[in-house]
Amino acid sequence: MYEPGPGAQSHDLNPGIKTDGLFWTIAISNDGVKVDLGKGVASMKATNVPIDDYGTIGNALFGGGPAPIPGVVSFTVEWRGVNERINIRNDDPPASGGGFAGEFIRNTAQMEWTATVGDFTFVSDPLETSSSVFAEIGHERNGGFFP
Amino acid sequence: MNFRDIPMWESAIKARAHHHTHSHTGHTHFWQHAMSRRQFARTAAGTAVVGATLASGLWRSGLAKATGSNEPLPIPGGIILGGQTFHVFGPGLSGNPPDQEPSTITDFNGFVGLAYLNGMVTRTNMQTGEVDTLPFLFSDMRFMQGVFRDTDGRVQQGAFALV
Repeated sequence: MYEPGPGAQSHDLNPGIKTDGLFWTIAISNDGVKVDLGKGVASMKATNVPIDDYGTIGNALFGGGPAPIPGVVSFTVEWRGVNERINIRNDDPPASGGGFAGEFIRNTAQMEWTATVGDFTFVSDPLETSSSVFAEIGHERNGGFFP
Repeated sequence: MNFRDIPMWESAIKARAHHHTHSHTGHTHFWQHAMSRRQFARTAAGTAVVGATLASGLWRSGLAKATGSNEPLPIPGGIILGGQTFHVFGPGLSGNPPDQEPSTITDFNGFVGLAYLNGMVTRTNMQTGEVDTLPFLFSDMRFMQGVFRDTDGRVQQGAFALV
C-alpha cells in the first residue's frame, strides 16, 4: 500500500520467505479454493492468515529496515471470464524457469480484503471496485509431476 | 522474465542502486514511486538498500521464517536480484512473458490462479482514530491447490496462497 498520490510505500504485507526459499506462500484451507476451468471461474478465500508488515518491499526482500510487525489478513479473490486459453509446456531446466506444463485461462480478477497490523486496521473497498492488471487460472504440473 | 532477461534486469538494478548511492536522505527515494508492492521493479529497491544496511543494526533479513515439516518445496528457479534468487516468477508483469510459471511450489500437480490487483483500502489507526484511504497497486495474489510432495518427501493434498 502507498500513501495517497500514490506516494511512498507504507505497508508491505506478506507471510515472509522460508529458510528454504519458499516465497510468500502459506497454507490455506483446501475448501477456500474453488476452480471451474470449464466456466473460467475460480475463487480463493481465507481468513486470519498470518502475515507481517515489512513496510517496504526492500525490507521484505533484504531486510535492513524496521522489524516486521505481525498481523493477519483476510481476503476474497475471484477470477472470471475466458479471454484466452493457452497450453504451455516448458522443457527448459527448472532452474531456468522451465520444467512445467499446464493449461491456462487468461481472464480478469477482483479482490476485497481486510487486515489488522499493529495499531492499524485495513478494509478494502468492495470487490466490485477493484481491477486486475493480469490474471490467469489453470492446471499445472511441475517437478516430479512434470510429464 | 527468463534468464535471457536477467542481465537487463540486473543492469537496471545496478543503475538504480547507483542512483540510490548518490541520493540523500530527506527526499523520496526512487522506489517509493514504484507502482506495486509486488511489481518486480520494486525489488530493485531492496537491492539498492541492501548494501547500505547490511552493516547496520537494523533488522537484517527477509529470510526469517523457519521451514517446517509437511510444507511444500519452492520452485528451483526464480528471479535473481542482487545475486540472490527469489523463488517466484512474475508472469505478465512489467514486460515479463505471460507464459512464465505461476506456481511458487514444486513437485506440484494441481490448480493455480494468479492476479495482480488494484484497488483502494481504508486504513484506520486504532490509537489515534486517523483514517486514510490508500491505493493498493499490483497486489500479487495466487493460489495453488492440488497434490504436492512435501519437505519430508510425502505426497499430500493441500492448498496454498501467495499473499
